[in-house]
Amino acid sequence: MKNIVNEKIKNNYIGIPRAISYYNNYPFYYGFFKGLGFDILLSDKTTTKLINEGSQHVVSDTCLPIKVFVGHVVNLLEKGCDKIFIPSLQSTAYKVNNCTKIRGLPEIIRNVINKPFKMIEPTLDKTNNISFKDFCYDTAHQLDVFDEEKINLAIKSGWEFYNKFQQMALVGVPFEEAVKNAIENKVVSKPIEIVRPLSVVIMAHGYNLFDERISMNLIKKLDKMGVKAYTGLNVSRQDAINSIQELGEIQYWANELDLTGAAAYYMLNKKVDGIIALSAFGCGPDSLMVDEIQYHASERNLPTMYLTIDEHTGEAGFVTRVEAFVDMLIRRKRKKLQESNIKTLSTSKKEKIGYLEKEDKALTKV
Amino acid sequence: MGSVLNAEKQREEQKNRFFQKDNTIATKDRIVAWPRMGNIDLSMVALVSSLGVKIVEAPPNSNEALEIGVKNSIEGICLPYKLNLANYIMALEKGANTLMMFQAPGSCRFGNYTKMAQKTLKKMGYKFDMVVFDMYQSKMKQTLQAFWHVTKCANPYRYYKGFSTGFNKAFAIDTAERLLFYTRPRELNKGEAERCYKKWYKIISETTSIWGCKQLKKKIIKDFKKIPIDKNKIVPKVYLLGEFFVLLDPYTNKDIEKTLGDLGVEVERQIFFSDWLEHVLQPSFLYKKESHRERCVRFAEKYMKRAIGGETIETVGDTVYAAQNGIDGVIHIMPFSCMPEIVSQNILTRVSREEDIPAMTLVLDEQTGKAGYQTRIEAFIDLVKRKKMKENLGSKNKREEVLS
Repeated sequence: MKNIVNEKIKNNYIGIPRAISYYNNYPFYYGFFKGLGFDILLSDKTTTKLINEGSQHVVSDTCLPIKVFVGHVVNLLEKGCDKIFIPSLQSTAYKVNNCTKIRGLPEIIRNVINKPFKMIEPTLDKTNNISFKDFCYDTAHQLDVFDEEKINLAIKSGWEFYNKFQQMALVGVPFEEAVKNAIENKVVSKPIEIVRPLSVVIMAHGYNLFDERISMNLIKKLDKMGVKAYTGLNVSRQDAINSIQELGEIQYWANELDLTGAAAYYMLNKKVDGIIALSAFGCGPDSLMVDEIQYHASERNLPTMYLTIDEHTGEAGFVTRVEAFVDMLIRRKRKKLQESNIKTLSTSKKEKIGYLEKEDKALTKV
Repeated sequence: MGSVLNAEKQREEQKNRFFQKDNTIATKDRIVAWPRMGNIDLSMVALVSSLGVKIVEAPPNSNEALEIGVKNSIEGICLPYKLNLANYIMALEKGANTLMMFQAPGSCRFGNYTKMAQKTLKKMGYKFDMVVFDMYQSKMKQTLQAFWHVTKCANPYRYYKGFSTGFNKAFAIDTAERLLFYTRPRELNKGEAERCYKKWYKIISETTSIWGCKQLKKKIIKDFKKIPIDKNKIVPKVYLLGEFFVLLDPYTNKDIEKTLGDLGVEVERQIFFSDWLEHVLQPSFLYKKESHRERCVRFAEKYMKRAIGGETIETVGDTVYAAQNGIDGVIHIMPFSCMPEIVSQNILTRVSREEDIPAMTLVLDEQTGKAGYQTRIEAFIDLVKRKKMKENLGSKNKREEVLS
């Protein structure tokens, strides 16, 4: 049985590691590679073993997501995959660059892993005029597909899948479900929402937040505590860009929209009671973006919590911190409500009289 | 193409909105300061003062400065920012009201320094005008614009004088440094080269005339040649590379060149300030020879196919270059949590193995102790010397020389 799979893999399978850009673009990749006539082999979900395997290959200063990425590549190689898709996403707009490690993913993998395999390594660099179309063409050419019409159709189908995913993500369908349905070419409507007393926005990269091992299921944990968690997926691109501008900041990082954008959007619209920042230890961009948001949040009197994770983070300490933060939010909200109740009762005299009159009428009716 | 130009314009507008140029300060009231980095002061003083503006020099980087920086910056930011911020604060305390800084969006966190520093300083209650210019694209234009905004100087002769003396001073001090690296391990009387360097540093900082600055380089070479050296001594050569700021700032790298020189090792540094300045400010069609970066891209081809920001490709390319040009070892230095250099550290492991060159990475942060650092360097130099000895096994005399 295994042999058959291996035989198939060698012919037209392409491996995609379940890390980094998977969490932003997978529906597009799915449609695109299907359109080109390739099947997709995903690596397993992140486990502790996989992280350990990844960290054996890189130096200890490397951040957790990269260690996880290397682990996924090793996992794919163990499965017998010999074509792996590792894009280098340099910049997504003019002078809006990605983190150096994400830009250099193919370079890291090339030098760190000694096994022979074919790496599909297209570059997206809009600062230097390498557009998204060039990126797709490059990918196809590296896979020996040169038929222009076929590539264009593949791009189109990729966008179709991606748009469906986006549509679902914006109304609040959880990530896993949205991806699953988008791939099956379905659009599910918004899940029935239980009204929750509290809501927070989590500012984190998709690859940290939606990876259940890295984020330790933060969203579900918050859900159990009765807190609704918004993420970067729930904010449209334009909204995120606008809110960053409204804060008076300049977008500098490519994935800033997921973090600052989302947090700024909810902060400006006063939809949330607090902000939780989740980032990997030693993450360069995050240290700046979280600081930025903390600055603006403290001006608006909004509590923030900065959770740092690495491969040694214990779940117990993590949960305690989240619980303490949620407790604090509850107390804050209760106090606020109490204060506002008092205010409505004893504002100006007229209002007070009106209120009493209403009460009188109510009493007379009884 | 049109859309890119459009995006460029939009971003420029956005930047200008963020760094709103303050025109309320009159030119004669302006007191200019800039962050310190190694010998950058010599040229900047020459340039800005010839344009007719008052200057405040921030005190040199020291433990005290670092403490101020650490206190006022966030935890996760890298070491150069902390020092930069300390320089700003100390300069503002001394009465500066205009801060100048270049930035390079697209490299790493460095592109965000000015933005953060401005916010932090405003929060602390300082009043100042921050003048920022990009060193990434259309650099000469932006540089001139920035200096025009600060000085409002329309006299072309003054610009000529400023840039000419500034450049020549940078060339002179770098020549002195190069000669110092060569002479220090070979000198017969210990400490002579160091003294000579310090003497010339003083002379360079005091020279003001254009002609005098042009003559400096020749005089320095002549003077260094007078120092008696042992020409036949076999000296192991170590290439120093890594992050730009850490390489150029002697406080941050704990004066690693001196440590190495005293151990009897000749140092070759990856980048000198003048080389970098020349490359950055020159329009690309005027390049005469292959620039440092182009050479690095060529040598790094086997390991890297694209530049990924920061100095990664330079680090990797220079390691390969060093291995192929008879250099005995590579010391790679970087500040803690530097993003591009972590990537190069990952790659260097393989380069070191395949090109057969010893490489050591030193990570610097505010808690680096000099003792542990010294031990590591000594151990590494022992390794390098032993390797050199094996290569020279043929002649017995040479072997003894190397080990001495």
